[in-house]
Amino acid sequence: MTDLAVQFTGVTKQYKHFTLQNVNLELATGSIMGFVGANGAGKSTTIRILMGLIHQDSGAVKVLGHDMPADQAAAKRDIGFVSEDMRLYGPATVAWHMEFIRSIYPQWDKLYAEDLLRRFDIKKEQKVKGLSHGQRVKAALLLALARRPRLLVLDEPTTGLDPVARREVLAELTAVLADENRTILFSSHNTLDVEQISDQITFIDRGSIIDSANKEIFLDGWRRLRLMLPPNTPLPQLPGVVEVGGSNRLPVLTISHFDPAMVAACQQAGASVQAVDPMTLEEIFVVNVQNRREKAIA
Amino acid sequence: MNTYIVKRLIFKDWYLYRGMLVGALILGLGTTEAIALAKATWIAVIMGVIVLATIIIGMGAIITSTSVNERKQQTLPFVMSLPISYIEYTTSKIVGSLLMFGALWLALVLGMVATILSTPWFPHGMIPFIVIMSVEMLASTCLIAAVSVTTESQGWMIGITQLGSLALNAVGFSIVRLPGIGGTMKSATVQWSSTSITILLVEFAVIVLIIATAFFVQSRKRDFI
Repeated sequence: MTDLAVQFTGVTKQYKHFTLQNVNLELATGSIMGFVGANGAGKSTTIRILMGLIHQDSGAVKVLGHDMPADQAAAKRDIGFVSEDMRLYGPATVAWHMEFIRSIYPQWDKLYAEDLLRRFDIKKEQKVKGLSHGQRVKAALLLALARRPRLLVLDEPTTGLDPVARREVLAELTAVLADENRTILFSSHNTLDVEQISDQITFIDRGSIIDSANKEIFLDGWRRLRLMLPPNTPLPQLPGVVEVGGSNRLPVLTISHFDPAMVAACQQAGASVQAVDPMTLEEIFVVNVQNRREKAIA
Repeated sequence: MNTYIVKRLIFKDWYLYRGMLVGALILGLGTTEAIALAKATWIAVIMGVIVLATIIIGMGAIITSTSVNERKQQTLPFVMSLPISYIEYTTSKIVGSLLMFGALWLALVLGMVATILSTPWFPHGMIPFIVIMSVEMLASTCLIAAVSVTTESQGWMIGITQLGSLALNAVGFSIVRLPGIGGTMKSATVQWSSTSITILLVEFAVIVLIIATAFFVQSRKRDFI
């Protein structure tokens, strides 16, 4: 049986204009999950429920073996949390924040914190209000990482950063994550960020989990088949076709469970396979979301 | 209740507000000293009391706004990412605000009383009235702290602060007409009548009720951020 760091079972949360519906989510210990969704899809609501900051209306949430939100204080001893809307205390220095966190977390790793200060190029004597947004994000990451959490929850940490700062934060984060065997939930609407550091991907849209799998399964399974059909030749019937684009003569099939045997099947059906294109995570996400939304309307 | 973390959060707020606290304390104690140095003329005493009351009310509003500021300045997710429950956060905010304010309040009230007691010609019978009004300010600050932590809304806080100021005037005008208080105010000695003691007890009971209500409301909250 897999050891689960996070387990959501049938979690629902209703607001006036938004409902998180029947969320079932499992994050195995040691894995890095990218949690992808458009703005307002329900990522932050899910993460706030995970952190015990809001109560689910129904369903069960277990984090590191603790029931949430009842055992949130115990669970949060082993969680490092950084969110896009999280700010540190402006008038206080980075060193004060480090001392504050150290006084709360006995597992605070002083040497690691000093190492992160160097890697993130942050001066600990500097007041937080004097830091750039990118430096503030790095300082928040430092405070979360140096407490040596068993679970790291990052809610859109790169949102609002300029491209240079975003690249720096991601590069440092990737380097830091390579050092450790941590369980991480990383939410973002930016698929490039997620693709870079995650080994598992979960898509959420309009309050529902629409797909969740290993990153390689997504990237290996999704393909675009560019066909050329002779006149009066019907489109080959293939399993897992999510979207049909292009023209009647030059159709483009988007397939969610690609199998190399499909190429031969197309040729047998009279079609000429012009190309089998891999898809980026962003393309997979967009097609996935559009497909679900169209199904919902139908 | 994890009292260690509650204490850490209280120390955090003390640290962040230390400049203002020390400044208010210096200004307040300086005012009482100035009254004494001005040979305690009537006008000096009245001006001094007004300055002290302004410091107490103003600092009460600033100190109790820590909960609203946590939300406004987006530091609440940082605090709530720490291993604490809602009730521990509430405890740190209410107890922390009241300890901070209480220390300043106590220093200024004692300074005011000491100044009056050291002024032989000033009617010491004023002291029960001043103490009742000071405890009224404490109760008003407790109410602002409770509303601040439960609503985390600046609008509500401003409304309750204004209400507190109006209540202060209303209480002042009402109790000064009571024989047990108004009748002894011009006395040369301090006279604690049963009326003034009853009013003080009611004020402290109201403070306890306000704090208990704040904890009750917080314990029923489902969403914190």
